[in-house]
Formats: sequence, structure tokens, C-alpha cells
Amino acid sequence: MKPNRIILGLTLALLALSSCKKDYSAEDLVLPPVVQDHNLVIRFLPTVGLDTMELGKEYKNYFDEPFSVTKFKFYLHSIEMINTDSSRSFVTSKDKYFLVDFEDTTTTVIKLAILPYKYNRLRFVIGVDSIRNVSGAQTGALDPAKGMFWTWNTGYIMAKLEGNSAASPAGGKFEYHIGGFSGPDKVLRSPTLLFPFNQFLDLKAGKTSEITVTANAGAWFYNPHDVTITTSPVCTTPGLLARQIADNYSKMFTVISVVNQ
Amino acid sequence: MTIRWTIGLILFLFSGTLLINACSKKDGQSAQPKPLSLRKPGGFPAPQYDFASNPLTEEGFELGRKLFYEGKLSKDGNFPCASCHQQSAAFAHIDHDLSHGFNNQFTTRNAPPLFNLAWMKEMHWDGGIKHIEVQPLAPLTAPNEMAEEVNSVLAKLQADPNYPKLFKAAFGDETITSQRLLFALTQFMGSIVSADSKYDKVKRGEASFTVEEQAGYQLFQAKCASCHAEPLFTDLSYRNTGIPVKPALMDMGRMRITGLKQDSLKFKVPSLRNVIPSAPYGHDGRFATVKNVLDHYSDGVQNGPTTDPLVKNRIALSNVDKFYLTQFLYTLTDSVLLKDKRLAAPQ
Repeated sequence: MKPNRIILGLTLALLALSSCKKDYSAEDLVLPPVVQDHNLVIRFLPTVGLDTMELGKEYKNYFDEPFSVTKFKFYLHSIEMINTDSSRSFVTSKDKYFLVDFEDTTTTVIKLAILPYKYNRLRFVIGVDSIRNVSGAQTGALDPAKGMFWTWNTGYIMAKLEGNSAASPAGGKFEYHIGGFSGPDKVLRSPTLLFPFNQFLDLKAGKTSEITVTANAGAWFYNPHDVTITTSPVCTTPGLLARQIADNYSKMFTVISVVNQ
Repeated sequence: MTIRWTIGLILFLFSGTLLINACSKKDGQSAQPKPLSLRKPGGFPAPQYDFASNPLTEEGFELGRKLFYEGKLSKDGNFPCASCHQQSAAFAHIDHDLSHGFNNQFTTRNAPPLFNLAWMKEMHWDGGIKHIEVQPLAPLTAPNEMAEEVNSVLAKLQADPNYPKLFKAAFGDETITSQRLLFALTQFMGSIVSADSKYDKVKRGEASFTVEEQAGYQLFQAKCASCHAEPLFTDLSYRNTGIPVKPALMDMGRMRITGLKQDSLKFKVPSLRNVIPSAPYGHDGRFATVKNVLDHYSDGVQNGPTTDPLVKNRIALSNVDKFYLTQFLYTLTDSVLLKDKRLAAPQ
């Protein structure tokens, strides 16, 4: 009996040691089910009019002013897929933010998990919801280190277009930092985009679809408001000009292709 | 038989102890930071910032303290937060109307003292900072102050032999993010509480005012307290106190933030706690002494469209009144705060 008990005790002791050596609990050993983490890819392409935009290359805006872009970025959230026939829609979490930055190609492709269904409209909010502007230190796309946060009048720059232009009286530069999240200064905009050729986005279980959206930097300067580099080379505070530019850039997006797998 | 059972039992218990020890040892390797709680002095309102999303800990506070005194937060290494916020001045800038930062540049406003920040809704003279956690970004990135970029500071700290360990102790791993940097600074600055002045002791029944102080307190309650409301000695509002604009600075105050004409030349009502050690006064530090400020209210107020109704007709103060008021203001000096070793530069 005695040796048996000693063995039992030693076994338990060994078990105790070995059981604590491993870093995973039993729950961790259950393999996750194989699922796709996304079924929709949205690609953003920068353009000026009908041309693909390259950073640093010179283009002409609506007023024939030459300009080249060095920075072009904007926040998106609450991405919504809509079926206008059935009035059904699916919206991504309003707390999930994307910063599309054409200097960083990893940010121009957004991967989403959307309820499989047929959709014919895409909608999203450009900018950062008011509460997130006053909630302290944020992370991820909203990390203030991304250079999209005003530190003197705290709040997010919702969209930014910067570059050079011979038409600019401000040292040959133009700089549009568009922000304002409360009251009349609010610059959040939510465009609804049609799909070309009355196409549907047809999300099927286990398949991935792709939407390509162009973002036209030239749209910042006109429709509905005329904004010339000559008269308005700089906009870095909330207010009328910021709201006008936000009206303009809310029309900069076009869905150019929808590909269903 | 009994002995055998006993041996068996001992071995069994021993294995159980091992189990507990082995597991607690593992926990010990990633030791939990030691929780602290914000001191909430009696009579104070509920704080605006309660550390709910940034749990206050010993390790977080100590990291924030080290960062507050850290030159690496500035571009050339010369301007830690503490260069303009000195403990002996209640974390204002001793004898500086304006401060100076990177490349011999002046700031445009007087560095405010730092205490009871957890009770402030907005920061800066114009209230432009709407949350305490993002406050440090303003001086850190201002080209005339610390002149740095957030990512550059994070890289310098990550490359430092000590900081990754300190961030691990405070936040669980060695990754240094902007949020952790700001959380740690907020833990330090938000913990600076001033509630141990003679005034506080009188209120707690631990001391009593002199006759002069008492006379000053009565004058204060009659003539000053509607803006400098107890117990914070500010009502946190923005007011134009009739200080004429300096052409060299053209500082329009709160209007720059709200864009509203009615906010022209309005600045935050500063707390009068620690007013004596935190001279000079006013948003641009133009008043060198308390007497200068009192003279302004009795004789210097210049009226404009937004001048506050409470000072528009100036405040009737005799020289004797000013003497008594000054005696009272001395009782707002919190010498415990000014000498608290936990708030001083870490060794």
C-alpha cells in the first residue's frame, strides 16, 4: 500500500508541475472552426478626374490650377451595404474605423465580413463620430500618432489633402485639413454610392466579392462649392470653408466595379 | 497504517501546494500592477475624470512621473513637461510670464499650474483640449514648445534600456503606444491633488484663520467667489475680465476654439489654489504680483463688447481690502503639494 500511495502522490506532484508548465488551457486546444474572416473587399483608388492619381505628379483642377498631391487620406466608418428593392441593409460596427491613406497601400484595401445577401448600394460615413473626438487617447486607426488629430483644439481631422501648386499664394503649397465634429461645424458626411450598370453585389456563403471605389482628389475643389487654390490655399480650422470642402469631397467617390466570385 | 496514510496525505497535500505554487509563480512573472485610487477630498464635486478606462496603478503613476520629467519627450531633449511645470510653483513656471521652448522660441501663453486636473472638464486657457488624456499632445507637438512628433517619441522610448520594462510593469507588455504614453502621463498628472492648504485645514477644523485671513475670506466670498468658486476656486467658465489684447500676441482666447464672436477675449477662470507660488498671472502672464491683479480689478478693467458683467463696473477694493484679500490668498498655498516627494523628479 505504502509504495502505491507514494507513487500516487508523486504522480499528482508531477501532474501539478506539468499542468502548470503549459501556457494554454483546455479551451485553447479546441481548434477554431474554419471560417472566412471577410467576404467583401473594398479597394480605394485615388484619381484626378478620369486619371489614376500618382502622388507628386502634377494635374489640373476644375479651375485649371496646377496641383500635385503629397498627402491624401480620410476616415471611414459605419460602412453599410443596402438593397433598395427589399430595403434591407447591413452595417458594420460604428466603432470600427478605417483610415484610408494613399501613401500607405496597406490601408487602401478594406476587408469586411458582411451578411451574405444581394446589395445594390454602398454607404459609409466620412469622418469620426463626435463622441470619439472627446474620449481621450484612442488606438488603431484613431491613434493620434497617425497625424490626423488636432492637438490645440482637440478633435480629429476627418480628411486631409495636401500638396503643391504654383497657383498657391501660401508658399506654393495647399493644405486642407477638414475637421469639426459638433454643432454647425460638423463635417461628417455619408454618401450613398450606386453600382455601375445596375449591378448587384451578390455575397454568397464561402465566396468573396470585390468592390472598387475611386476617390477623386479633383472633386475637393468644386461642386457644389467653388474652392480655388488661389483664394483658399489653406483650410486647417473647422468652419464654413471646411464644411464646403466636406460637401465637395463627399461627392468624390465612384464605384467603378463590382466583382462577385 | 496510520503513518502510511499520513505520508500519502502529506504527499497529496504537497502536490496540491505545488500546483498552487507553480501557478502563482507563473502569475508572479507577469505581476499585476498595484491598484491606486484617486484621492477625492471631502467637499469636492465628483471628478470629471475617474480613471475608469485607465486604471490608476502604482506602476502607471511612477511611469507617468518619469515621463513627466523626461527630456526625450522633446525634440532636442531639453524640454520635459517639467521644464515649464515646476513643482515648487505648483507646477506652473516660476517667474515666467511666457515660457520658452525648442530653438529659443517663446510660448504665447502663461504656463498654468497643474493640480486637481481630474476635476477640469477642459484644458488650456481657451478650453481647446476637451479631454485630459490628449492634453500632453499639445505641448509635445507644438513647434515652439517640445517640437516633437508622437511616433518619434515612441521610437526613442522603445529604444531606451529602461522604458520597455516600465511599460510592461504598468501595462502588461513592453509595447509602447501613444495610448499607453498618454495613459501614464494622465495617471501622474491626474493624481496631483491640492487639498492641504491652510484653507482646507480650516475647513476640516484642523486650523483657524487669523483675523486678517478671516477678513480676507469674507471679502473673497463677497467679491471674488462667483467666478473663483469654492472648493476648486474656479467655476471652470470662460470670461473676459477686461484685460486688453496685446497687439504682439493678438490672442482672442476662446473665440479661436468656438469661432463665436461672443467668445472673443474670454479665457478660463483660473483656480486660485496655490496662487501665491504660481506667479505671474493672467493668460499671458502680464501681472507680476497679486497686487497687480487686484489693481486691475479695482482700476484697470477695460470694457469691450464681451467684458464680463461681474467686472464691467470694476470691483470696489480699498488698499486695506487688498491687504486682507492677499492674506487670505496666502492660505490657499498647499505646501504639502509643493514638497510632496512622490511628485518630484524620480531619482
